[in-house]
Amino acid sequence: MTTEPATRPPLDLTDRLAAVTEATEEHLARTDRAAEFPVAALDALRRTGLLGLLVPVTHGGLGGTARDLAAAAQTLGRSDMSVGMIFAMHCQQSAALVRYGNERLRKELLPRIAAGECYLASVTTEAGKGGHLLSAQAQLAAEQGELVVERFAPIVTGGVHADGFLITMRSPGADATAHEVTLVYAHRNQLDITASGDWQPMGMRASHSAALTLTGRLPAHHVVGESGEFHRIATTVFGPLAHLGWSAVWLGTAAGALSRVLRLLRSPAGRARFDLTSELLLTRIARSRQRLDTVHALLQQALHTVESGADLSAPARQLQLNALKITASEECLAAVDDLITALGLRHGYLKDSPTRLEHALRDLRSAPLNYSNDRLHLADGRLALRDQGVSFA
Amino acid sequence: MDARFTALLQPFLKHAGPGETALTPDTDLRTLGVDSMQAIELLFAVEDTFGISLPDEELNDTTFATAGSLWNVIAAQLPEGTGDGPAGQETA
Repeated sequence: MTTEPATRPPLDLTDRLAAVTEATEEHLARTDRAAEFPVAALDALRRTGLLGLLVPVTHGGLGGTARDLAAAAQTLGRSDMSVGMIFAMHCQQSAALVRYGNERLRKELLPRIAAGECYLASVTTEAGKGGHLLSAQAQLAAEQGELVVERFAPIVTGGVHADGFLITMRSPGADATAHEVTLVYAHRNQLDITASGDWQPMGMRASHSAALTLTGRLPAHHVVGESGEFHRIATTVFGPLAHLGWSAVWLGTAAGALSRVLRLLRSPAGRARFDLTSELLLTRIARSRQRLDTVHALLQQALHTVESGADLSAPARQLQLNALKITASEECLAAVDDLITALGLRHGYLKDSPTRLEHALRDLRSAPLNYSNDRLHLADGRLALRDQGVSFA
Repeated sequence: MDARFTALLQPFLKHAGPGETALTPDTDLRTLGVDSMQAIELLFAVEDTFGISLPDEELNDTTFATAGSLWNVIAAQLPEGTGDGPAGQETA
Protein backbone atom coordinates (compact mmCIF):
# COMPACT_ATOMS: atom_id res chain seq x y z
CA MET A 1 0.00 0.00 0.00
CA THR A 2 2.83 2.37 0.81
CA THR A 3 6.49 2.13 -0.05
CA GLU A 4 7.40 1.22 3.52
CA PRO A 5 7.66 -2.45 4.53
CA ALA A 6 4.56 -3.66 6.35
CA THR A 7 6.53 -5.89 8.68
CA ARG A 8 8.30 -3.30 10.79
CA PRO A 9 6.83 -2.50 14.20
CA PRO A 10 4.09 0.13 14.34
CA LEU A 11 5.12 3.76 14.76
CA ASP A 12 4.71 5.25 18.22
CA LEU A 13 2.44 8.20 17.49
CA THR A 14 1.19 8.64 21.07
CA ASP A 15 2.45 12.18 21.69
CA ARG A 16 1.52 13.45 18.24
CA LEU A 17 -1.99 12.04 18.50
CA ALA A 18 -2.39 13.40 22.02
CA ALA A 19 -1.65 16.91 20.72
CA VAL A 20 -4.32 16.58 18.05
CA THR A 21 -6.83 15.08 20.48
CA GLU A 22 -6.27 17.94 22.92
CA ALA A 23 -6.87 20.54 20.20
CA THR A 24 -9.94 18.61 19.06
CA GLU A 25 -11.56 18.27 22.48
CA GLU A 26 -10.95 21.91 23.33
CA HIS A 27 -13.09 23.15 20.44
CA LEU A 28 -15.39 20.16 19.99
CA ALA A 29 -18.62 21.64 21.32
CA ARG A 30 -18.24 24.75 19.17
CA THR A 31 -17.19 23.09 15.91
CA ASP A 32 -20.20 20.76 16.16
CA ARG A 33 -22.71 23.42 17.16
CA ALA A 34 -21.55 26.00 14.61
CA ALA A 35 -20.69 23.46 11.86
CA GLU A 36 -17.17 24.91 11.80
CA PHE A 37 -14.09 23.23 10.38
CA PRO A 38 -11.75 22.12 13.22
CA VAL A 39 -8.93 24.53 12.35
CA ALA A 40 -7.06 24.00 15.63
CA ALA A 41 -7.04 20.23 15.10
CA LEU A 42 -5.80 20.67 11.52
CA ASP A 43 -3.03 22.98 12.81
CA ALA A 44 -2.05 20.25 15.26
CA LEU A 45 -2.03 17.66 12.44
CA ARG A 46 0.28 19.99 10.48
CA ARG A 47 2.56 20.76 13.46
CA THR A 48 2.96 17.14 14.55
CA GLY A 49 3.88 15.85 11.10
CA LEU A 50 0.82 13.58 11.05
CA LEU A 51 -0.28 14.98 7.67
CA GLY A 52 2.87 13.27 6.40
CA LEU A 53 2.08 9.92 8.06
CA LEU A 54 2.05 7.99 4.77
CA VAL A 55 4.79 10.04 3.07
CA PRO A 56 8.03 8.01 2.83
CA VAL A 57 10.90 8.96 5.12
CA THR A 58 13.02 9.77 2.05
CA HIS A 59 10.60 12.62 1.31
CA GLY A 60 10.57 13.83 4.91
CA GLY A 61 7.46 11.98 6.06
CA LEU A 62 6.85 9.51 8.87
CA GLY A 63 6.86 6.49 6.55
CA GLY A 64 3.73 5.02 8.07
CA THR A 65 1.83 1.97 6.84
CA ALA A 66 -1.85 1.18 6.42
CA ARG A 67 -1.74 -0.28 9.93
CA ASP A 68 -0.35 2.97 11.33
CA LEU A 69 -3.10 4.85 9.50
CA ALA A 70 -5.79 2.60 10.99
CA ALA A 71 -4.40 2.99 14.50
CA ALA A 72 -4.13 6.78 14.24
CA ALA A 73 -7.56 7.11 12.62
CA GLN A 74 -9.14 5.06 15.39
CA THR A 75 -7.53 7.20 18.08
CA LEU A 76 -8.65 10.47 16.47
CA GLY A 77 -12.14 9.04 15.88
CA ARG A 78 -12.52 8.44 19.61
CA SER A 79 -12.57 12.20 20.18
CA ASP A 80 -14.31 13.38 17.04
CA MET A 81 -15.41 11.55 13.92
CA SER A 82 -15.09 14.71 11.81
CA VAL A 83 -11.41 15.15 12.70
CA GLY A 84 -10.79 11.44 12.18
CA MET A 85 -12.39 11.49 8.73
CA ILE A 86 -10.56 14.68 7.71
CA PHE A 87 -7.30 12.97 8.64
CA ALA A 88 -8.10 9.58 7.07
CA MET A 89 -9.21 11.13 3.79
CA HIS A 90 -6.10 13.32 3.59
CA CYS A 91 -3.95 10.21 4.13
CA GLN A 92 -5.83 8.35 1.40
CA GLN A 93 -5.10 11.25 -0.99
CA SER A 94 -1.45 11.42 -0.01
CA ALA A 95 -1.06 7.65 -0.53
CA ALA A 96 -2.35 8.05 -4.10
CA LEU A 97 0.31 10.70 -4.75
CA VAL A 98 3.03 8.55 -3.18
CA ARG A 99 2.13 5.54 -5.29
CA TYR A 100 1.01 7.12 -8.55
CA GLY A 101 2.48 10.62 -8.72
CA ASN A 102 5.23 11.03 -11.32
CA GLU A 103 8.76 11.74 -10.10
CA ARG A 104 8.51 15.50 -10.61
CA LEU A 105 5.17 15.85 -8.81
CA ARG A 106 6.34 13.64 -5.95
CA LYS A 107 9.50 15.74 -5.54
CA GLU A 108 7.52 18.98 -5.54
CA LEU A 109 4.69 17.88 -3.36
CA LEU A 110 5.60 15.13 -0.89
CA PRO A 111 8.06 17.23 1.18
CA ARG A 112 5.38 19.91 1.50
CA ILE A 113 2.81 17.37 2.70
CA ALA A 114 5.35 15.99 5.18
CA ALA A 115 6.08 19.51 6.44
CA GLY A 116 2.39 20.02 7.14
CA GLU A 117 2.06 22.71 4.46
CA CYS A 118 -0.31 20.82 2.23
CA TYR A 119 -3.64 19.53 3.50
CA LEU A 120 -5.31 17.62 0.65
CA ALA A 121 -9.00 17.54 -0.16
CA SER A 122 -10.68 15.07 -2.48
CA VAL A 123 -12.92 16.20 -5.32
CA THR A 124 -14.70 13.06 -6.51
CA THR A 125 -18.37 13.96 -6.07
CA GLU A 126 -20.26 15.36 -9.00
CA ALA A 127 -23.89 16.28 -9.52
CA GLY A 128 -25.96 13.70 -11.38
CA LYS A 129 -23.70 10.64 -11.10
CA GLY A 130 -25.19 9.25 -7.90
CA GLY A 131 -21.92 8.93 -6.05
CA HIS A 132 -20.36 6.73 -8.72
CA LEU A 133 -16.63 7.09 -8.06
CA LEU A 134 -15.52 5.62 -11.38
CA SER A 135 -17.32 7.99 -13.72
CA ALA A 136 -16.94 11.69 -14.49
CA GLN A 137 -18.96 14.23 -16.44
CA ALA A 138 -16.77 17.34 -16.39
CA GLN A 139 -13.98 16.92 -18.91
CA LEU A 140 -10.35 18.00 -18.78
CA ALA A 141 -9.32 20.13 -21.76
CA ALA A 142 -5.76 20.08 -23.05
CA GLU A 143 -4.63 23.49 -24.29
CA GLN A 144 -1.04 24.42 -25.23
CA GLY A 145 0.40 21.68 -23.04
CA GLU A 146 -1.73 22.63 -20.06
CA LEU A 147 -4.76 21.00 -18.47
CA VAL A 148 -7.86 23.12 -18.11
CA VAL A 149 -10.09 22.27 -15.17
CA GLU A 150 -13.66 23.44 -14.80
CA ARG A 151 -15.49 21.42 -12.21
CA PHE A 152 -18.40 21.67 -9.77
CA ALA A 153 -18.44 19.32 -6.78
CA PRO A 154 -21.41 19.24 -4.37
CA ILE A 155 -19.43 17.84 -1.42
CA VAL A 156 -15.77 18.59 -0.75
CA THR A 157 -14.76 17.81 2.84
CA GLY A 158 -12.50 20.59 4.13
CA GLY A 159 -12.50 22.21 0.69
CA VAL A 160 -12.45 25.74 2.07
CA HIS A 161 -9.30 24.98 4.11
CA ALA A 162 -7.43 22.63 1.78
CA ASP A 163 -4.06 23.62 0.31
CA GLY A 164 -4.35 21.18 -2.56
CA PHE A 165 -6.98 19.11 -4.34
CA LEU A 166 -7.06 15.73 -6.04
CA ILE A 167 -9.77 15.99 -8.67
CA THR A 168 -11.39 13.31 -10.83
CA MET A 169 -12.19 14.52 -14.37
CA ARG A 170 -13.27 12.87 -17.59
CA SER A 171 -10.14 12.35 -19.70
CA PRO A 172 -9.48 14.90 -22.48
CA GLY A 173 -10.39 14.05 -26.09
CA ALA A 174 -13.60 14.05 -28.12
CA ASP A 175 -14.05 10.27 -27.83
CA ALA A 176 -13.46 9.97 -24.07
CA THR A 177 -16.40 8.35 -22.27
CA ALA A 178 -17.66 9.06 -18.75
CA HIS A 179 -15.76 5.96 -17.66
CA GLU A 180 -12.38 7.26 -18.76
CA VAL A 181 -11.50 9.10 -15.60
CA THR A 182 -8.25 10.94 -14.90
CA LEU A 183 -7.00 12.10 -11.52
CA VAL A 184 -5.28 15.49 -11.41
CA TYR A 185 -3.63 17.45 -8.63
CA ALA A 186 -4.12 21.20 -8.20
CA HIS A 187 -2.57 23.64 -5.71
CA ARG A 188 -5.01 26.06 -4.18
CA ASN A 189 -3.20 28.98 -5.90
CA GLN A 190 -3.69 27.34 -9.30
CA LEU A 191 -7.46 27.45 -8.96
CA ASP A 192 -10.26 29.95 -8.74
CA ILE A 193 -12.47 28.52 -6.02
CA THR A 194 -16.05 29.50 -5.32
CA ALA A 195 -17.84 27.97 -2.36
CA SER A 196 -21.60 27.82 -2.47
CA GLY A 197 -24.49 26.65 -0.34
CA ASP A 198 -24.86 26.42 3.40
CA TRP A 199 -23.36 23.46 5.28
CA GLN A 200 -26.03 22.40 7.79
CA PRO A 201 -25.91 18.59 8.09
CA MET A 202 -27.31 16.29 10.81
CA GLY A 203 -23.84 15.15 11.85
CA MET A 204 -20.23 15.37 10.71
CA ARG A 205 -20.82 19.08 11.15
CA ALA A 206 -17.15 19.93 11.75
CA SER A 207 -16.12 18.29 8.47
CA HIS A 208 -17.44 21.34 6.61
CA SER A 209 -18.07 19.53 3.34
CA ALA A 210 -19.38 22.39 1.25
CA ALA A 211 -20.00 22.65 -2.48
CA LEU A 212 -17.13 24.06 -4.57
CA THR A 213 -16.68 25.27 -8.11
CA LEU A 214 -13.07 24.93 -9.23
CA THR A 215 -11.54 26.43 -12.37
CA GLY A 216 -7.90 26.68 -13.35
CA ARG A 217 -4.99 25.64 -15.56
CA LEU A 218 -2.53 22.97 -14.49
CA PRO A 219 0.85 21.83 -15.82
CA ALA A 220 0.77 18.46 -17.59
CA HIS A 221 2.76 16.67 -14.87
CA HIS A 222 -0.14 17.17 -12.47
CA VAL A 223 -1.87 14.12 -13.89
CA VAL A 224 -1.66 11.41 -11.19
CA GLY A 225 -1.15 7.96 -12.71
CA GLU A 226 -1.85 7.51 -16.41
CA SER A 227 -4.53 9.55 -18.11
CA GLY A 228 -7.83 7.63 -17.97
CA GLU A 229 -6.44 5.16 -15.42
CA PHE A 230 -8.15 6.41 -12.26
CA HIS A 231 -9.94 3.06 -11.88
CA ARG A 232 -6.54 1.49 -11.14
CA ILE A 233 -5.83 4.04 -8.39
CA ALA A 234 -9.33 3.47 -7.01
CA THR A 235 -8.87 -0.31 -6.77
CA THR A 236 -5.35 -0.29 -5.36
CA VAL A 237 -5.24 2.81 -3.13
CA PHE A 238 -8.41 4.90 -2.87
CA GLY A 239 -10.86 2.09 -2.16
CA PRO A 240 -8.76 -0.02 0.23
CA LEU A 241 -7.41 2.94 2.20
CA ALA A 242 -10.81 4.62 2.33
CA HIS A 243 -12.46 1.50 3.71
CA LEU A 244 -9.66 0.82 6.20
CA GLY A 245 -9.34 4.44 7.29
CA TRP A 246 -13.06 5.19 7.55
CA SER A 247 -13.84 1.93 9.35
CA ALA A 248 -11.05 2.64 11.83
CA VAL A 249 -12.47 6.13 12.48
CA TRP A 250 -16.00 4.74 12.95
CA LEU A 251 -14.73 2.03 15.27
CA GLY A 252 -12.89 4.73 17.23
CA THR A 253 -15.99 6.89 17.47
CA ALA A 254 -18.13 4.02 18.77
CA ALA A 255 -15.33 2.77 21.07
CA GLY A 256 -14.90 6.28 22.48
CA ALA A 257 -18.63 6.43 23.13
CA LEU A 258 -18.68 3.02 24.83
CA SER A 259 -15.66 3.95 26.92
CA ARG A 260 -17.28 7.18 28.12
CA VAL A 261 -20.46 5.23 28.97
CA LEU A 262 -18.49 2.64 30.97
CA ARG A 263 -16.62 5.38 32.84
CA LEU A 264 -19.92 7.00 33.70
CA LEU A 265 -21.49 3.72 34.85
CA ARG A 266 -18.44 2.82 36.92
CA SER A 267 -18.23 6.23 38.62
CA PRO A 268 -19.83 6.58 42.08
CA ALA A 269 -22.46 8.92 40.61
CA GLY A 270 -23.19 6.48 37.80
CA ARG A 271 -23.55 3.56 40.19
CA ALA A 272 -25.98 5.57 42.26
CA ARG A 273 -28.04 6.29 39.14
CA PHE A 274 -27.85 2.97 37.28
CA ASP A 275 -28.38 -0.56 38.58
CA LEU A 276 -25.34 -2.42 37.34
CA THR A 277 -26.87 -5.75 38.29
CA SER A 278 -29.70 -5.13 35.82
CA GLU A 279 -29.59 -7.96 33.29
CA LEU A 280 -31.10 -5.70 30.65
CA LEU A 281 -28.38 -3.07 31.12
CA LEU A 282 -25.63 -5.71 31.16
CA THR A 283 -27.01 -7.31 28.00
CA ARG A 284 -27.19 -4.01 26.17
CA ILE A 285 -23.61 -3.11 27.10
CA ALA A 286 -22.52 -6.59 26.03
CA ARG A 287 -24.26 -6.32 22.67
CA SER A 288 -22.64 -2.96 21.98
CA ARG A 289 -19.22 -4.32 22.86
CA GLN A 290 -19.80 -7.44 20.73
CA ARG A 291 -20.53 -5.30 17.68
CA LEU A 292 -17.25 -3.44 18.15
CA ASP A 293 -15.25 -6.64 18.54
CA THR A 294 -16.76 -7.85 15.25
CA VAL A 295 -15.67 -4.67 13.47
CA HIS A 296 -12.25 -4.79 15.09
CA ALA A 297 -11.69 -8.38 13.95
CA LEU A 298 -12.73 -7.58 10.39
CA LEU A 299 -10.49 -4.50 10.36
CA GLN A 300 -7.51 -6.60 11.47
CA GLN A 301 -8.22 -9.20 8.80
CA ALA A 302 -8.53 -6.53 6.10
CA LEU A 303 -5.21 -5.03 7.23
CA HIS A 304 -3.57 -8.45 6.79
CA THR A 305 -5.07 -8.68 3.31
CA VAL A 306 -3.78 -5.24 2.31
CA GLU A 307 -0.35 -5.91 3.86
CA SER A 308 -0.03 -9.21 1.99
CA GLY A 309 0.69 -7.34 -1.22
CA ALA A 310 -1.76 -9.61 -3.08
CA ASP A 311 -3.83 -8.31 -5.99
CA LEU A 312 -6.63 -6.34 -4.33
CA SER A 313 -8.79 -6.45 -7.44
CA ALA A 314 -9.46 -10.18 -6.88
CA PRO A 315 -13.17 -10.62 -6.02
CA ALA A 316 -12.61 -12.25 -2.63
CA ARG A 317 -10.34 -9.37 -1.54
CA GLN A 318 -12.63 -6.63 -2.83
CA LEU A 319 -15.56 -8.36 -1.13
CA GLN A 320 -13.69 -8.47 2.17
CA LEU A 321 -12.79 -4.77 2.02
CA ASN A 322 -16.36 -3.86 1.09
CA ALA A 323 -17.65 -6.10 3.89
CA LEU A 324 -15.44 -4.16 6.29
CA LYS A 325 -16.92 -0.84 5.19
CA ILE A 326 -20.53 -2.04 5.22
CA THR A 327 -20.21 -3.90 8.53
CA ALA A 328 -18.33 -1.09 10.28
CA SER A 329 -20.81 1.54 9.11
CA GLU A 330 -23.78 -0.50 10.35
CA GLU A 331 -22.38 -2.03 13.52
CA CYS A 332 -20.69 1.09 14.91
CA LEU A 333 -23.91 3.03 14.44
CA ALA A 334 -25.93 0.21 16.03
CA ALA A 335 -23.48 -0.04 18.94
CA VAL A 336 -24.05 3.61 19.83
CA ASP A 337 -27.81 3.21 19.33
CA ASP A 338 -27.73 0.28 21.80
CA LEU A 339 -26.03 2.52 24.34
CA ILE A 340 -28.64 5.24 23.93
CA THR A 341 -31.35 2.67 24.65
CA ALA A 342 -29.35 1.38 27.61
CA LEU A 343 -28.83 4.76 29.24
CA GLY A 344 -32.12 6.48 28.42
CA LEU A 345 -32.95 10.12 27.85
CA ARG A 346 -30.66 11.94 30.27
CA HIS A 347 -27.34 10.36 29.28
CA GLY A 348 -28.35 8.87 25.94
CA TYR A 349 -30.13 11.70 24.23
CA LEU A 350 -29.10 15.04 25.72
CA LYS A 351 -26.27 17.04 24.17
CA ASP A 352 -24.64 17.95 27.47
CA SER A 353 -24.12 14.38 28.71
CA PRO A 354 -20.43 13.54 29.13
CA THR A 355 -21.12 10.35 27.13
CA ARG A 356 -21.58 12.45 23.94
CA LEU A 357 -23.77 9.63 22.56
CA GLU A 358 -26.04 12.12 20.79
CA HIS A 359 -23.09 13.58 18.86
CA ALA A 360 -21.63 10.15 18.06
CA LEU A 361 -24.97 8.86 16.75
CA ARG A 362 -25.48 11.86 14.45
CA ASP A 363 -21.93 11.51 13.09
CA LEU A 364 -22.14 7.74 12.63
CA ARG A 365 -25.45 8.03 10.79
CA SER A 366 -23.39 9.33 7.85
CA ALA A 367 -21.26 6.17 7.70
CA PRO A 368 -23.67 4.00 5.64
CA LEU A 369 -24.22 6.95 3.27
CA ASN A 370 -20.57 7.91 2.85
CA TYR A 371 -19.99 5.95 -0.33
CA SER A 372 -23.44 4.41 -0.06
CA ASN A 373 -23.83 0.87 1.23
CA ASP A 374 -26.54 0.39 -1.39
CA ARG A 375 -23.96 0.95 -4.12
CA LEU A 376 -21.49 -1.38 -2.42
CA HIS A 377 -24.11 -4.14 -2.12
CA LEU A 378 -24.68 -3.96 -5.88
CA ALA A 379 -20.94 -4.15 -6.51
CA ASP A 380 -20.71 -7.06 -4.05
CA GLY A 381 -23.48 -8.94 -5.83
CA ARG A 382 -21.58 -8.78 -9.09
CA LEU A 383 -18.29 -9.67 -7.38
CA ALA A 384 -19.95 -12.65 -5.68
CA LEU A 385 -21.04 -13.97 -9.07
CA ARG A 386 -17.39 -13.90 -10.13
CA ASP A 387 -16.40 -16.15 -7.22
CA GLN A 388 -18.49 -19.31 -7.63
CA GLY A 389 -16.22 -21.28 -5.34
CA VAL A 390 -16.76 -18.74 -2.56
CA SER A 391 -13.14 -18.33 -1.57
CA PHE A 392 -12.21 -16.07 1.35
CA ALA A 393 -9.36 -13.58 1.53
CA MET B 1 -3.51 -6.07 53.73
CA ASP B 2 -5.18 -3.44 55.86
CA ALA B 3 -8.29 -3.72 58.04
CA ARG B 4 -10.53 -1.84 55.61
CA PHE B 5 -9.69 -4.39 52.93
CA THR B 6 -10.33 -7.48 55.05
CA ALA B 7 -13.59 -5.98 56.31
CA LEU B 8 -14.92 -5.25 52.84
CA LEU B 9 -13.82 -8.68 51.60
CA GLN B 10 -15.52 -10.77 54.31
CA PRO B 11 -19.13 -10.47 53.03
CA PHE B 12 -18.06 -11.75 49.59
CA LEU B 13 -16.66 -14.99 50.97
CA LYS B 14 -19.94 -16.80 51.37
CA HIS B 15 -18.37 -20.24 51.32
CA ALA B 16 -15.94 -19.47 54.12
CA GLY B 17 -16.80 -21.69 57.06
CA PRO B 18 -16.85 -20.48 60.66
CA GLY B 19 -13.32 -21.74 61.16
CA GLU B 20 -11.96 -19.92 58.13
CA THR B 21 -12.51 -16.34 59.18
CA ALA B 22 -8.81 -15.44 59.23
CA LEU B 23 -7.92 -13.87 55.92
CA THR B 24 -4.41 -14.40 54.62
CA PRO B 25 -2.82 -13.27 51.37
CA ASP B 26 -3.20 -16.86 50.17
CA THR B 27 -6.95 -16.95 50.74
CA ASP B 28 -8.41 -18.29 47.50
CA LEU B 29 -11.21 -15.91 46.57
CA ARG B 30 -12.75 -18.07 43.85
CA THR B 31 -13.30 -21.17 45.96
CA LEU B 32 -14.78 -19.01 48.72
CA GLY B 33 -17.40 -17.49 46.43
CA VAL B 34 -15.94 -14.66 44.32
CA ASP B 35 -17.06 -15.71 40.85
CA SER B 36 -17.07 -13.41 37.81
CA MET B 37 -20.39 -11.86 38.85
CA GLN B 38 -19.17 -11.23 42.38
CA ALA B 39 -15.88 -9.85 41.12
CA ILE B 40 -17.48 -6.75 39.62
CA GLU B 41 -19.35 -6.07 42.89
CA LEU B 42 -16.12 -6.58 44.80
CA LEU B 43 -14.36 -4.17 42.45
CA PHE B 44 -16.95 -1.48 43.13
CA ALA B 45 -16.64 -2.02 46.87
CA VAL B 46 -12.86 -1.69 46.64
CA GLU B 47 -13.02 1.47 44.56
CA ASP B 48 -15.62 3.05 46.87
CA THR B 49 -13.80 2.13 50.05
CA PHE B 50 -10.39 3.38 48.94
CA GLY B 51 -11.52 6.13 46.57
CA ILE B 52 -9.33 4.72 43.79
CA SER B 53 -9.78 3.36 40.29
CA LEU B 54 -8.01 0.11 39.44
CA PRO B 55 -6.36 0.10 35.99
CA ASP B 56 -8.19 -1.83 33.24
CA GLU B 57 -5.16 -4.02 32.54
CA GLU B 58 -5.17 -5.33 36.13
CA LEU B 59 -8.80 -6.44 36.08
CA ASN B 60 -8.03 -10.03 35.13
CA ASP B 61 -8.54 -13.39 36.81
CA THR B 62 -5.06 -13.36 38.34
CA THR B 63 -5.83 -10.19 40.28
CA PHE B 64 -9.05 -11.68 41.68
CA ALA B 65 -7.46 -15.08 42.44
CA THR B 66 -6.38 -14.47 46.03
CA ALA B 67 -6.79 -11.83 48.69
CA GLY B 68 -3.08 -11.06 48.38
CA SER B 69 -3.09 -10.62 44.61
CA LEU B 70 -6.04 -8.25 44.84
CA TRP B 71 -4.46 -6.33 47.69
CA ASN B 72 -1.22 -5.87 45.75
CA VAL B 73 -3.11 -4.21 42.92
CA ILE B 74 -4.99 -2.00 45.38
CA ALA B 75 -1.83 -1.06 47.28
CA ALA B 76 -0.18 0.05 44.03
CA GLN B 77 -2.93 2.64 43.60
CA LEU B 78 -2.83 3.97 47.16
CA PRO B 79 -0.92 7.17 47.93
CA GLU B 80 2.53 6.48 49.43
CA GLY B 81 2.36 5.28 53.03
CA THR B 82 -1.41 4.77 53.30
CA GLY B 83 -1.34 1.04 52.62
CA ASP B 84 0.77 -1.34 54.68
CA GLY B 85 2.95 -2.64 51.88
CA PRO B 86 2.78 -5.66 49.61
CA ALA B 87 0.77 -8.59 50.93
CA GLY B 88 3.69 -10.95 50.53
CA GLN B 89 5.73 -9.17 53.20
CA GLU B 90 3.39 -10.32 55.92
CA THR B 91 3.91 -14.00 55.23
CA ALA B 92 7.54 -13.88 54.13
